Amino acid sequence: MSATILIVDDSRMVRTLVRGALEAGGYTVLEAIHGAHALTQLERQTPDLMITDVNMPEMDGLTLVERARPQARFARLPILILTTETAEDLKQRGRQAGANGWMVKPFSPAQLRETVGLVLERSRSGALFARKSGTGAGSDGRK
Amino acid sequence: MTALTKPVVHITIGGVHATNEPTIIRTTLGSCISACLFDPVAGIAGMNHFMLPSVVDGDDSLRFGVHSMDHLIGKLMRLGADRARFQAKVFGGGHVLNTRESDDSVPRRNVRFIRQYLEDDGIPIVAEDLGGYVARNVEFDTSTFKVKVRKLKGLVIAAELLQKEAPKDTEAPKTGGITLFD
Repeated sequence: MSATILIVDDSRMVRTLVRGALEAGGYTVLEAIHGAHALTQLERQTPDLMITDVNMPEMDGLTLVERARPQARFARLPILILTTETAEDLKQRGRQAGANGWMVKPFSPAQLRETVGLVLERSRSGALFARKSGTGAGSDGRK
Repeated sequence: MTALTKPVVHITIGGVHATNEPTIIRTTLGSCISACLFDPVAGIAGMNHFMLPSVVDGDDSLRFGVHSMDHLIGKLMRLGADRARFQAKVFGGGHVLNTRESDDSVPRRNVRFIRQYLEDDGIPIVAEDLGGYVARNVEFDTSTFKVKVRKLKGLVIAAELLQKEAPKDTEAPKTGGITLFD
């Protein structure tokens, strides 16, 4: 399944790692080094999916989601958080902001590709946002 | 608070500890690397301990440098550190346990990795003690940012100590969890 994915992480080596994992799955990868940079990238091109870290300088990943999601053209952009953070309050903030999933680093490239493939499939079938009603209701899909 | 009264946190392979409290973080290194990162203005500091520079599919744990460094930096930023002010002191990468010195050896790869990672992230190395044929006991004082290094030069002694310091199989978490929101 071909798709363009924007990865947002302040660590060059993590970006390289994520890029390698995704390109091995046939995806085209764009990069941003923090949240503000990602917003600039999104102005230029809307990807099929965005994967963002949380702790970054300039603008963190949760603020990025909070800024992007309310915009109509990003209302159905699949967004995954990829972070070392495991705190439930942060996870809930991500969910409320409109992220579609939360992946905790370290990650396996195969696991990352599998999750991305699943989310893209749900996005294309219309299932990803089918239950979104603006209330943030629903339970975690899986662990 | 003197060094004697500060709490001591001992980390082994895969370990990451960050704090804004005066603490002594201690570890023992052979070919592994520890990076001590600190924001001197915010008074936030931490240390990690990783075994290999990069990942191989199927075992992507904090034992690997790229994840360990990412984890440490994330913890420091979560505590309020500004990564623009980060400074680094790095240690380890010794050839012990009969490892032969070559460009492809684990210690040399580890040393190249940590220097490259910090350069990529624009974090200056303000002190280092890397390579050689020694194991090292490292103690990082997170209130003064000073590091004490004790070199263990006898290979037999080093091997015994490293064996004693080796992590339990379950200590370093492997891949993290995934939650998909409805």
